[in-house]
Amino acid sequence: MAETTTKPRRQPPDPNSAKYKLGKIADDAYASAAAAKARGEMIGWCASNFPVEIPETLGLAVVYPENQAAGIAARGGGVTMCEEAESEGYSNDICAYARISLAYAKLKEAPVEPNVPMPDFVLCCNNICNCMIKWYENLSKELNIPMFIIDIPFNPDYEVSEAQIAYVRAQFWDVIHGLEKLTGKKWSDEKYKEVMEISGRTSRAWLAATACAKYTPSPFNGFDLLNHMAVMVTARGKKEAAEAMEILLKEYEQNHVEGKSTFRAEEKYRIMFEGIACWPWLRVTSTGLKGRGINMVTTIYADAFGFVYKDFDDMCRAYCNVPNAINLEHARDKRVKLCKDNSVEGLLVHTNRSCKLWSGFMPEMSRQIGEACDIPVVSFDGDQADARNFSEAQYDTRVQGLTEIMDTRKEAK
Amino acid sequence: MNVQELLNRFREVAACPRAQMENYLKSGKKVVLTAPVYTPEEIIHSMGAVPFGAWGADIELNESKKYFPAFICSIMQSLLEIGIKGGYRGASAIVIPSLCDSLKVIGQNWKYAVPSIPFIPMTYPQNRKPDFGVAFTKAGYERVISDLGKATGLTFDDAALGSSIEVYNAHNAAMRELVGVLAAHPEVTNAQRSDIFKSAFFMLKEEHTELVRALIDALGAAEAGPAKTPIMTTGIIADAAGLTGILDDCGLQIVCDDVAAESRQYATDTPAEGETNLDRLALKFRNMDNCSVLYDQEKNRCKKIAADAKAAGAKGVLVILTKFCDPEEFDYPLIKKACDAEGIPVTVIEVDRQMVNYEQARTAIETFRDIL
Ligand code: SF4
Ligand code: SF4
Repeated sequence: MAETTTKPRRQPPDPNSAKYKLGKIADDAYASAAAAKARGEMIGWCASNFPVEIPETLGLAVVYPENQAAGIAARGGGVTMCEEAESEGYSNDICAYARISLAYAKLKEAPVEPNVPMPDFVLCCNNICNCMIKWYENLSKELNIPMFIIDIPFNPDYEVSEAQIAYVRAQFWDVIHGLEKLTGKKWSDEKYKEVMEISGRTSRAWLAATACAKYTPSPFNGFDLLNHMAVMVTARGKKEAAEAMEILLKEYEQNHVEGKSTFRAEEKYRIMFEGIACWPWLRVTSTGLKGRGINMVTTIYADAFGFVYKDFDDMCRAYCNVPNAINLEHARDKRVKLCKDNSVEGLLVHTNRSCKLWSGFMPEMSRQIGEACDIPVVSFDGDQADARNFSEAQYDTRVQGLTEIMDTRKEAK
Repeated sequence: MNVQELLNRFREVAACPRAQMENYLKSGKKVVLTAPVYTPEEIIHSMGAVPFGAWGADIELNESKKYFPAFICSIMQSLLEIGIKGGYRGASAIVIPSLCDSLKVIGQNWKYAVPSIPFIPMTYPQNRKPDFGVAFTKAGYERVISDLGKATGLTFDDAALGSSIEVYNAHNAAMRELVGVLAAHPEVTNAQRSDIFKSAFFMLKEEHTELVRALIDALGAAEAGPAKTPIMTTGIIADAAGLTGILDDCGLQIVCDDVAAESRQYATDTPAEGETNLDRLALKFRNMDNCSVLYDQEKNRCKKIAADAKAAGAKGVLVILTKFCDPEEFDYPLIKKACDAEGIPVTVIEVDRQMVNYEQARTAIETFRDIL
């Protein structure tokens, strides 16, 4: 689900900027995993919403196949990798991240960066989808390495039940003990407390930074969030991440004071974008909006990575409340709040062929969001990593349609 | 009843589930729908309601498209379509398990698309083997019991659950025995075999067991027909008339299966151990394995398919892949590998519930037959 990529940069960015620092943290994650591997340490491949507190506290280097797949897709290598998986018998209906990752597990290299070290274990958490379980089972089997799973079921209720917390808590400890045994690393409560505090600090800064979209015009282009969230997913517990996010917040506040924005056009319309970015078509999708003066001011990611919790049980609860694990009403209310807080005028939904869970009740949920916020809702078909499942013409028509409705509404006001 | 009469009876039930449901409703019974792949049917049965399988149907989709994108499996799409169009009117509730992503999302849509039939979630753990997993299964059952009480006005009693468990275990045993008996009787067509399995979803299990036992006895007394080419099938469903017809035309005989709607349903009995009957039922789920929607790091299911095919004398494995079913799509490459390693030919055909043209499938199956 969550992922990002660092695009090739045109000018050398300011090394003191949040953008530079966040990009570096994301890149460093790969480098430090490679270095750990070279030192002879065991390294893991880890699901994006697996509790990062576990490898972080244990001092285990991990890389995130979803990030990697997004990076490969953004650099144009997605289709080659998908086709490789398909030649192994994987259906082209399977999530493209999984196809790319399974192809990488076989080839051990990709035509474009990022290349990652091969894992000694995999860490799976299905709070975003059960597809994840199948994908990691196959990685584990094909690479003949152990798999650790924290099963966080989709919660059909609004609140997380005590039974679910108990189930999830027991699994946390089960996995921690299993990893200690496998890798020889030791869990330290003190270190965990530190990670928890830093993670809280990073999360608070992220929430505050993304909340700057409340200003009109917004001091940032929402596409920034798609790039920065990788750090939120994977490095929240690192001090550098907290510092970089705090800089980001400062920059956004400063932009607001100075009347500046990273959205480099006149902000005529403000929308919420729903779904994962179409990485292979990032420029097209972004330009299609910017060209019309549409700023994507918020996405569910703004809320999703606010991992602020007070203790171990609360942390378990936070992992039960990630976007794809919650019921329609809970998911809807979070989005309605974001739309209202940020004066959103339209909702653009990416119907993502890769992601059954995210797209599976989106039509009904987006109808309800549209009604609750009195905003138009328009969707387009795409895929986060398989470039074949996107039509530029359809995207353009749909975005144009959305623009026209927003325009008519503005005039009526 | 003789063999033919029994087979006709299965056919009747399988072909017209609505009539079955009406009969139960008329007799004053409550009916509770059970979605794929596993639900705690024993609980529903023990409370005095009829668990009624809801695996969709081969129909055209219109209404479901307002809720689902096109890339959700046709079983979920058609289940929702029937619900919206009133095909399940009279049912007191639907129990939907959380076993795959499409099952997770259908419940959310159901609440708004079919508000007249309450949605009861059954949240199963994937980490089902350790004690904490068993405890979570039990908590899920308790929630189902409470929701069922509200939806039907019926009450739960652990002793009654004990009796229902016996009914279900007896049915499992009959179904497992039947597979072997049918393997020895090629004159029973694949379409008829499918009817027997399908009808089990629309009957009280004690009634179905009675018919199955009668068929086993009747076949025991009958002479076996001329041999056909034995194969194994695997997939989620395999009940399309178009498909079973082609298998019959091609002289193929299903001698064993790993189909979720067929033998996978009956592989695991509720064990004797457990403090209460509800505990026993939670242990049943712990013991379940070899299924694409149950976490399996070892991918034992894939090896088991190859082993089962061999043991049953199947000359090849036909993978009947439900389009957009990712649990099955992820397993396929490993099933293929496991069968290749045993020298068992594998062919895959993609199916969905809207298929009208089976010509491509026919060509694939004919080619498959020719290499066996
Ligand atoms: S199915 Fe969806 S949530 Fe799961 S890995 Fe793919 S894109 Fe992410
Ligand atoms: S297991 Fe497969 S066929 Fe069954 S509901 Fe899930 S996706 Fe559909």
